Amino acid sequence: MSELLQDDAGRVPGVIGDRIAGVLLLVLAVGAWWLSHDLESGFMQPIGPGEYPRLISLPLAALSLLLILRPGVNQRWPGRAVLLRQALTLLVLASFAGLVKPLGFLPASLVAVVLLVRLFGAAWKPALVSGAVLALALYALFEFALGIPLPDMPGLDW
Amino acid sequence: MDILAFLAQGFAVALEPQNLFLAFIGCVIGTLIGALPGLGPVNGVALMIPLSFNFSLPATGALILLVSVYYGCMYGGRISSIVLNIPGDEPAMMTTLDGYPMALQGRGGEALGLSAVASFAGAGVATLGLALFAPLLVQFAIRFGPAEYFALFVLAFATIGGVTGGSLVKSFIAAFLGLLLGSVGIDAVSGVPRYTFGLYELYDGIDFIVALVGLFAISECLIYLEDIRGTSRPTLRLGSAMPGVRSAGRCAPTIARGSLIGFVAGVLPGAGAALGSFLAYMLEKRWVGRDGSFGQGDPRGVAAPEAGNNAAAGGALIPMLSLGIPGSGTTAILLALLLSMNITPGPLLFEQQPEMVWGLVAALVIGNFVLLVLNVPLVSLFARVLLAPGWFLMPLVVMVAFVGVYSLNNSAFDLYMMLGFGVLGYALRKLEIPTVPVVLGLLLGGQMEFNLRRAMAISGGDWSILWSSGISVGIYLFAVTLIVAGLVYSWRIRGRLA
Repeated sequence: MSELLQDDAGRVPGVIGDRIAGVLLLVLAVGAWWLSHDLESGFMQPIGPGEYPRLISLPLAALSLLLILRPGVNQRWPGRAVLLRQALTLLVLASFAGLVKPLGFLPASLVAVVLLVRLFGAAWKPALVSGAVLALALYALFEFALGIPLPDMPGLDW
Repeated sequence: MDILAFLAQGFAVALEPQNLFLAFIGCVIGTLIGALPGLGPVNGVALMIPLSFNFSLPATGALILLVSVYYGCMYGGRISSIVLNIPGDEPAMMTTLDGYPMALQGRGGEALGLSAVASFAGAGVATLGLALFAPLLVQFAIRFGPAEYFALFVLAFATIGGVTGGSLVKSFIAAFLGLLLGSVGIDAVSGVPRYTFGLYELYDGIDFIVALVGLFAISECLIYLEDIRGTSRPTLRLGSAMPGVRSAGRCAPTIARGSLIGFVAGVLPGAGAALGSFLAYMLEKRWVGRDGSFGQGDPRGVAAPEAGNNAAAGGALIPMLSLGIPGSGTTAILLALLLSMNITPGPLLFEQQPEMVWGLVAALVIGNFVLLVLNVPLVSLFARVLLAPGWFLMPLVVMVAFVGVYSLNNSAFDLYMMLGFGVLGYALRKLEIPTVPVVLGLLLGGQMEFNLRRAMAISGGDWSILWSSGISVGIYLFAVTLIVAGLVYSWRIRGRLA
C-alpha cells in the first residue's frame, strides 16, 4: 500500500541498520529466554509464568536471525545536523520531565516551550514571543478550563 | 433481535446533552487533527485518551468522544491532501492523486465539497453495516471458548503481517516485540514479577497509553525535525465547496462502489482504512478510468478513496466491538481505552451493556451529520489551520502529550518511558518495521496469554486443545491463507519492480 506508492528516493538498503536492529532484537530475545528460567513457581498450573515469554522469544530470535541474514530496506537515516537537533529536543523534553515537579509547571514549561519552538525552526524573537504565549495559554487551558491539576510553583498557591 | 428497538434506545443515549456535546467537540477536534499534515487518527486518538481520563468521563461518553475524533480525523485528512498535496494522514494519501490537480485547476473548493459528501456516504454505509453485521458476528462468537479466542488473536497478528504490504518478517518481528513487552509486569496468575528488574513502576506492566503516545506522537515530532518547513506554504484559491455537492451527485455510482469496497476492507482484521482507500481508488481506476483522466484531476478519483477510507474506518469498529480484536491501529487504541475502563469488548458487551454499543452507533450517525456540516460550508475555516507554522504546532502536540501522560500518575517515570518509546518508534519507522503490530502485541499480549493458560488449565496441560475444535482450525486455516496470500502478493510486486 503506502510502501508501494512511495518512490524509492527516500529509501536506502538496510544492510547496516537492519543488521544492527537484528542483533539487538536477538540479544533481547535470548535475554528474555534466559531470564524466564528464573520465573518458575510452585503453583499448580500446567504452564507457569515463564512459559509464555519463552513461547514468544523463540520466534522473535528466529526472525531476528532472518533479518540479520536477509536485511531489507530502510528509510533514509538522518544526517548529523538533524541527529543533533533531535538529541537536543529529547534533552529539553527529558529535563522538562525531571524539572516539572520541583520547579512547577509554569516556569518549567515556559523555558521548555521557548526552546522547543526554537528547535522546531523559528528564529529567537518569534520563539520567545510565541513560546511564552503558548506556555501561558496551555497553562490556562489545562489548569483552569480543563481542571487538570498541574504541579504549582513552589511557594505559590492558586 | 430487534435492531430498531436497540437503535431507538441508542439514540436516547446519544442525544443526552453531555454525549451530544462530546460528539460535537470530538468532530471538531478530529477534523482539526486530521487536517494537520502528519497527525492522523492514531496520533489524534492517542493524544485524546489521557485527557479523557482526566475528565473522568463515563465510559460511554469517553468512547463517543474518541470515536467522534476518529471519524473527524478521517474527514479532515483529505483537506491537506487537496490543498497542499501533503496527505493529512496515511489513508488520505490516495486523495492527493486527483485532489491536488483539481485544486491546481481552481476547483479546490469543489474537491473539498465532493470529498466531504463522499466521506459522509462512506461513513454512513459503514455505520449501517456496523448496526446490521456486528450483532450477527456476536451471535457467532458467543460460542467461542479460550482456545478459539487464542486462535482469533493469532489471526489478528497474521492479517497484520499479511495485509500491511511491507516486509512480512518485519511485521512479525514487530508483533513479537510487542508481545514480549506486554509480558512485563506481575504475572496475573502466579503473582511472579516478570522482567521488572526491581523497578516498582513496572510492576503494573508497561502502561499502554504511555507507550502509545510515545510511539506515535513523540516519534512523529522526531520525524518532523528531519525536515523543518519554517516558511509558510503557498496558498491556492479554493472557491466555494458547494459545487462539490452537485458533482457528488454525478459521482454517485463511484461513491457507492468505494463505500462497499472500503467497508469490506475495514472489517478484515488488520487491514484498516489505508487499504480501503487504496483498493477503492485502484479498482475505480481500473473500471472507469480507461480514458486516462485519473491522476489529472478527475472528481471520481477524489470520491472513490474518500468514500473508501471512511467506510473502512467504520468497518474496522466491527471486529473491535464484537470480538475484541482490533482491525487497525486506531481501533486498537479504542480497545485499550475500553480495557482500561474495565470493559471487555466482545459478545458479552452486546448483552450486558447494549445501551453503550447502540449509543455509540447512534452517536456515529449524529456525528456523521455534524461532520458533513463542518466540512462543506465551514471547510475553509479548517483549511486555514494549515497556515499555522509547524514550529508552533509541533511543540503544542508535545506539550499536550506531556500533560496528558503526566496527569495519569503524576510520575516523571512515565514521561521518561514515553520519551523512550518515542525513540523506539522513530527507530522502527526508519527501519520500516511497522509500529501498529507492536501496539497490538503490547495490548493483546495479556489477554492472549490469559486465554492460552485458561485453555491449558481446562485441558490439564494438553496442547492439542488449541486445535481441537472446528472453529479454531477454521480460524488457523484462514490465518495461514492470509499469510500465504501476503507472501505471494509481495513476491509478485517484487517481481514487477525487478
